[in-house]
Amino acid sequence: MKKTRILTSWRYPGNWPFFRFDDRLLLILMAAIVGNFSGLASVALNRSLVMMSEWLHHFRHDWWVFVLPAVGAALSSLFLEKVVKEGAGHGVPEVIYSVSRYGGLLRFRSSFSRLISSCLTIGSGGSAGPEAPVVISGAAIGSNIAKYFSLNDRQRVTLVGCGAAGAISSIFNAPIAGMVFAIEVIVGEWKSVNIVPIAIASVAGTEISRILQGNQIPFSHHLFNIDLLNIFASIGLAVLSAAAAILLTRMLRSMHTVSHKVSAPIWIRAAMGGCAVGVIGLFLPVVLGEGYHTVKILIEGEYGQVLAVVALASFAKIAATALTLGWGGSGGIFAPCLVIGSLIGVTYHHLLSLLWPSVSWVNEGYYALLGMAGLISGMLQAPLTGIFLIIEITGGWEVILPLIMVSAVTTTLCHYFEPASYYLKDLVEHGHLLRPGTDARVLSDLNVTELIEKDCIIVNQSMLLRDFITIIKKSHRNYFPVEDDQTGNFLGIIHLDDIRPYLFDPVMYDAVFLGQIMNTQVEVVHPDDDLLDVVRKMDMKGLFSMPVVINNRFLGLISKATILDQYRKELMVQTTH
Amino acid sequence: MKLTIHEVAQCLRLPVSTVERWIRQGRIPIQKAENGYLFNESTLEKWAAMYKLPFSIPEKVNTVPQQAKMENLLPSMKRGGLLYDIKGGDVETVLKNAVENIHYLSTTIKEILYTNLLEREQLTSTGIGKGVAIPHPHDPLEDMIKNSIISTCFLEKPIDFNAVDGQPVFVMFILLSPSTKIHLHLLSRLSFCIRENAFVEFLKTTPDSTAFFSNIVDFENRLKKGEHH
Repeated sequence: MKKTRILTSWRYPGNWPFFRFDDRLLLILMAAIVGNFSGLASVALNRSLVMMSEWLHHFRHDWWVFVLPAVGAALSSLFLEKVVKEGAGHGVPEVIYSVSRYGGLLRFRSSFSRLISSCLTIGSGGSAGPEAPVVISGAAIGSNIAKYFSLNDRQRVTLVGCGAAGAISSIFNAPIAGMVFAIEVIVGEWKSVNIVPIAIASVAGTEISRILQGNQIPFSHHLFNIDLLNIFASIGLAVLSAAAAILLTRMLRSMHTVSHKVSAPIWIRAAMGGCAVGVIGLFLPVVLGEGYHTVKILIEGEYGQVLAVVALASFAKIAATALTLGWGGSGGIFAPCLVIGSLIGVTYHHLLSLLWPSVSWVNEGYYALLGMAGLISGMLQAPLTGIFLIIEITGGWEVILPLIMVSAVTTTLCHYFEPASYYLKDLVEHGHLLRPGTDARVLSDLNVTELIEKDCIIVNQSMLLRDFITIIKKSHRNYFPVEDDQTGNFLGIIHLDDIRPYLFDPVMYDAVFLGQIMNTQVEVVHPDDDLLDVVRKMDMKGLFSMPVVINNRFLGLISKATILDQYRKELMVQTTH
Repeated sequence: MKLTIHEVAQCLRLPVSTVERWIRQGRIPIQKAENGYLFNESTLEKWAAMYKLPFSIPEKVNTVPQQAKMENLLPSMKRGGLLYDIKGGDVETVLKNAVENIHYLSTTIKEILYTNLLEREQLTSTGIGKGVAIPHPHDPLEDMIKNSIISTCFLEKPIDFNAVDGQPVFVMFILLSPSTKIHLHLLSRLSFCIRENAFVEFLKTTPDSTAFFSNIVDFENRLKKGEHH
């Protein structure tokens, strides 16, 4: 007996006396494990993308090459739909949704499904990024490790953040960006209890990628010599990249709507989108794939095309991304954002040189870099993620001032037109975004059964008012539910305020039955009702109490006083540090 | 003392389902193990203090006897006793003589009581009709008496008590209680008896203590039945 307990107790580290009150060390340990695994997942995706593109390189010059993205998108959508039975899309909203609603529970298959599907989409030339797929993989790895060790919801959410951080850190070799992304976008809660493990996971993820792929800055660039004029000019770029971000968001959504109107199987739709991307790719090859190579060239200022071509390429990339993702391909928007951003930056540089040829503008790589920051910040509406990501993947500490400015301006401008970011829009629309410590979160965590008060005296409709008065004497409540004495069904409720005049009229005592004075038009609550709806109903109708009824049976009362009491305790537990 | 999860919920004044959810969500330092829950009481107390949540072990011992303390009419009436032939022609003298004769009380209390009773009479008469009066102090004699007392005083001759129905009063129930709650409890029971005309007629016969108390026992039984109904 004792032996088995020792053998099994390692799977319940949360129960070890040492971790019971303070689990920070435990979380750090777990975070390192999760960071390693999610780092491995992103290295795996990265390697397979490289392999795919090398393998398909031979066919690049055949005439039928434009169907490749179609085949890839169709296969990826078939895989998601039929084999692993998961929805299309890039996965980040799913992670945020699960963090909001289910304490970070994610299915095990999510840890590899998006890797395979996005590898098919992107490797074949679809315009999408590998980052969102590794984020959901890392998150699912974190969630399942937490499940394996029987950790609780809070710890699991932290590990989900760790997985996301490890994945982003590993794929970009950017530990700070991974950390900031996980906290700003995924967890949404700046608490040291989250920050520390997530930072450790970032370190682990980055280290894994450095060991396996070497330590190099993905998009290195020449040093820029920036003067004040160029810093001010970057504000114009911020406006332009905000416009591009809004255009991309709107196009993604409208493509999604359009594709759903086509009555064809989901994989045919994906193939149609992929085919369109392939056709664009015939003329502008920059739109194909995740586009890291393109970004590299743009940052180094070696893209050598005229204004019209660059501008067209920006639009083409936006369209290709919308076609790939909106029509059912699988992948993220991170990498396309980087490509679009750098294209927009170069376009802006060309525009400036055209308008003021005498001014010595900095190299176009500078604007490409700022454009990337603008696009990321605008799409994600996460300015810190944009700033740190670009700084780390380009190593461009000397541009930090204009970078911060562009990120701030773009985020703000995008917020005017699209109040919720691309990741959060659907969640916000369905009321699924529940950040800790918010009203919606508190109300969704509490449920009706926790608030039921059962100390009501139940009466029946054939009772005389005289008998009811002796019951009032004993009760300390103002509400009396009325049940049918035969069936036990809930009929209505008596509120003392409503019957006060009769109470002092002895003539009525033997003449009135409760069935005659009860209120049958009552709003009732079901135990499974969302508390948000219950509170809204109470506010609208000016009610203070509502009966909880299930299958015509009265269960108890729910009142504003108890809601306030519990709400306060819940808020204190959720927000105090 | 080892607490159960239900007791923890009681300590926090929360439903058990909330505590269980907090355990699942990891908001409270309690771990779920295969057979029950693992926690340390002092850590839990520290945790509650950190989050400014109320945490105290509910006092079960104290709540039960307080309800049992509410005495009924009979013991109070036995303590106060029956007083016959109280002399006097007006309210003051009658009260003075009656208070003098309550043996249960010490002399100092008697004096205070007398002034208190007079003050109360000046506010409005305690003659509640049908020839009955229930003199009592306005505020309960909290520190001076431990138990409630009802002295039944039969007057030598009916006197004008300025009662609500104008009838001269022939019997007084001097009602003393240590708290307002007990006062109201006894007053309501007493008025239940007096509401019945047969009882008033019975009082008019100036009954002896045995007959009087057995009558009160009857009333108590009827009241008890009513409560259980």
